[in-house]
Amino acid sequence: MSSLLAILSEQYPGREDQASQLLSLLGEPTDPTPPFIFVYGPSATGKTSVIRSLFTHYDQSGQRYAYINGVECFTPRLLFERVLNAWAGHVPSLDNKFANYTRCENTVEFVNNVHDLLHDKQDQTHYIIIDQAERLRDRGPMLLTMLLRLSELTNASICTVLVSNVVWDKFRPRHGGALEPTLVFFSNYTKQQILSIIEKDCPKDEPPKFFLTFVDAIYEVFHRNCVDLDELRHLVTMLYPKFVQPVYEKQANRSEFTRLFKLCQPYFSAASERLYLREISTSEWQKYSTEVTTETAPEDVTQSIYQMAESGDGLDLPYYTKFLLIAAFLASYNPSRLDAQYFSRGKTQAKRRAKAVAQDATGGKDRQQLLGPKSFNIERMLAIFYSIIVEPVDSSVDVQIQIASLVTLRLLTKTSAGDRLDGIKCKCNVSLETIRTIAHSVRFEIDRYLYNFA
Amino acid sequence: MPARHKVSQSEVQSAKQAVLKRLYGRAALPELVSLDDPLSAVYALLNQTVSSNEGNSALVLGPRGSGKSAIIDRCLDRLQAEHNTASSPKYHTVRLNGFVHTNDRLALRDIARQLLITQDLEHVLVGSFADAFTYILNLLRSDEKEVVPPVLFILDEFDLLAQHPKQSLLYTLFDIAQSQQTPIAVIGLTARIDVMDLLEKRVKSRFSHRQIYVRSVQTLDQFKCIAQLALHISTDDGVSANYADEFNQQVDELLASDAVAGYMEYLFDFGKDTRQLLQTLASSVLQLSVDLPHPQQSPTAACVEREMQSAKLQVLANVSVLELCLIIAMKSLVQVGSTKYNFEMVYDEYKTFMSRHMMAVAAGGAMKIYKKPVALKAFETLIELEIVRPFTTEGGAAFGRNDLLAGTAAGNRVPKEYRMVQLMLEPGQVMELAADRPDIPAVIRRWAQQ
Repeated sequence: MSSLLAILSEQYPGREDQASQLLSLLGEPTDPTPPFIFVYGPSATGKTSVIRSLFTHYDQSGQRYAYINGVECFTPRLLFERVLNAWAGHVPSLDNKFANYTRCENTVEFVNNVHDLLHDKQDQTHYIIIDQAERLRDRGPMLLTMLLRLSELTNASICTVLVSNVVWDKFRPRHGGALEPTLVFFSNYTKQQILSIIEKDCPKDEPPKFFLTFVDAIYEVFHRNCVDLDELRHLVTMLYPKFVQPVYEKQANRSEFTRLFKLCQPYFSAASERLYLREISTSEWQKYSTEVTTETAPEDVTQSIYQMAESGDGLDLPYYTKFLLIAAFLASYNPSRLDAQYFSRGKTQAKRRAKAVAQDATGGKDRQQLLGPKSFNIERMLAIFYSIIVEPVDSSVDVQIQIASLVTLRLLTKTSAGDRLDGIKCKCNVSLETIRTIAHSVRFEIDRYLYNFA
Repeated sequence: MPARHKVSQSEVQSAKQAVLKRLYGRAALPELVSLDDPLSAVYALLNQTVSSNEGNSALVLGPRGSGKSAIIDRCLDRLQAEHNTASSPKYHTVRLNGFVHTNDRLALRDIARQLLITQDLEHVLVGSFADAFTYILNLLRSDEKEVVPPVLFILDEFDLLAQHPKQSLLYTLFDIAQSQQTPIAVIGLTARIDVMDLLEKRVKSRFSHRQIYVRSVQTLDQFKCIAQLALHISTDDGVSANYADEFNQQVDELLASDAVAGYMEYLFDFGKDTRQLLQTLASSVLQLSVDLPHPQQSPTAACVEREMQSAKLQVLANVSVLELCLIIAMKSLVQVGSTKYNFEMVYDEYKTFMSRHMMAVAAGGAMKIYKKPVALKAFETLIELEIVRPFTTEGGAAFGRNDLLAGTAAGNRVPKEYRMVQLMLEPGQVMELAADRPDIPAVIRRWAQQ
């Protein structure tokens, strides 16, 4: 047992407490186990990895535990048949025509099959491990309760292990009857533990201490918005080649950390947004980011990175369609009572000033900007469109087709019923930043027409 | 305390297994505390059916964990022991469970299986329920006598069985029990006190209205007694008398220690949950070995402390600073009176606070205002942990977290930044969350305390 603990501690540093707690609960194969163990903790804390590794080593034959993923088994039948296959050691293959161990559609058959399989193996505990267990809550009210009480129902020694990142309080079924679990908590890694884990990612020909200083700096910069281990490892792997590049180009040597960081600075800021948000994929980053030399200006570097993600922003639409989209945005976010003020031409132009808005108790939180787009009539949008277009519209432009294509592109969402042909209502699905870019590209000052926008 | 007598590995092993079996509910406790009255009532009823061929029905009512199934098991074992000679009457037992037998057809099939009926029943099962049931009972007649042997029906989770359409199973069972055609006993176990209201009129009239109440433990001493019964070992468990005495002494000391006694009072006040108590006490014997052959106090105290912590705050103890800021922003929105808010409003609040305290922020630490997409990613982490859930009015269906995270298929739904949410933490919990962390800037901590 202690050798198993040593193996797990070496593979998963920082998880010794949890591994030893689990091992002491499992005990020897003939020891009784609690009927229900609940493993929980935030994501990227090693729950799935530790559990899988533990059971692989604990039970070499693989016939005493059944590992199920809650997302894969979306009906009870899939779950039951998987569990029975695992405990019977049956693997669907070409020989048995990929059939399962037995056909098992409902709870009664499952309980009976389990009883038949296990009644002569009373002294050995069998395990059901369900990952992403929060999905089980939607599969039917009784499924969870029945799985927890399987020991009582079948007179066999069964332990259910649920792994989830949601706490047990949110699982408890309303009709009662579920057992209380033995809880095993996987906390987030501390800084030391994160450093020691990422240290193992060091590429083979780099000095570890140098790498460690780099990882430390990355952690300090990024940990305020991201404590997820997977994300940090990804960032380290992507940024390290850029960081160490100047050393290979003989621009700096390994002890000049400040200089290396200064050269790498533009990559850091780009990474914290584009790479972290996955706006650029990993392979794009590796292929296209320019290499840093002393002659490269930082702006060029930043520019090259931002150019990579250009495609999402500047929507490539025809000229009038862009105005239609702007008109739709204005219709969604401006109140209709102020339309005459903002959009009528002629004598009332003088009144087109931004009015001071009275601050209400909620601190202005019910601005339309925050509540989201309102739906509007097509006629109103067209009225706004004709008013903001300065020159007269060419008669060959078919405005209705443009509206239809905007709806297909999901830039407008139709909110009236699908089969209505008149009185159609839509709402605008585009964000303020995108509209600003579009308005800028057609040289339209949108800020003058927006009401109550911070 | 060092062991005075040397104990062998096998003794330690037997002790550990025996104690753990009792603690985890896999073996019965040696005696049932304060359950004598219900025990004798149930036993009398079952015995009457078996010995005198009478039909009987009763309901056993009691809260969860009060010992209903334990009583039934004990009665059945006693009947088995008393009626196992050749001249004693033969009887059958059928156990049904509301969690497992979710409709009447499945229940009927399983009844046939439990009665070891091997004939093919498909042609009968499509007909009326009562006919099928009588057919099955008649199949039990052995050839010499023309009489059906008594059958005992134990119905667990009776309230769930009462929710099947038309309650045909219950109607048939109570009908046969009352009309004395064939001797059956029907005992229903349930935790719902108002289960009689669930029964239809025709079912209720055929029921004998006999209700046996099982109460949970009355006093703290009885509660402690249950723990002692589970933890004490005796020579029946395969250990020597000396070892058993020492072990039991340590057990008594453990139960008298402050941590455990306090925990027992806490559980007793909360809900008298015996299963929870026994599970927590299991931590005292998990490390049993030849060097440490007695129950230990420190792992038990550690386990008790773990149990008393709030799981939600545990999970949130290490969220990133940005996520904490979003939580505090939501708390401020709640405090000024908005009951519902969406991501845009939360981000706006965060931005206003940060820009207001720009001076303090710049001086106190490098705390920048994160852009909206980065904040949205942090917000979605909170949704995944279910700290932030979709806003529902009362009576609305329970929405899953996928409603907030997923893209929308229908055209009518709002984009995900605008979907209304609510925070599932109290303002007090948010303050507690911020107070425990040493690494956040002072200005954030002050914001949380407002």
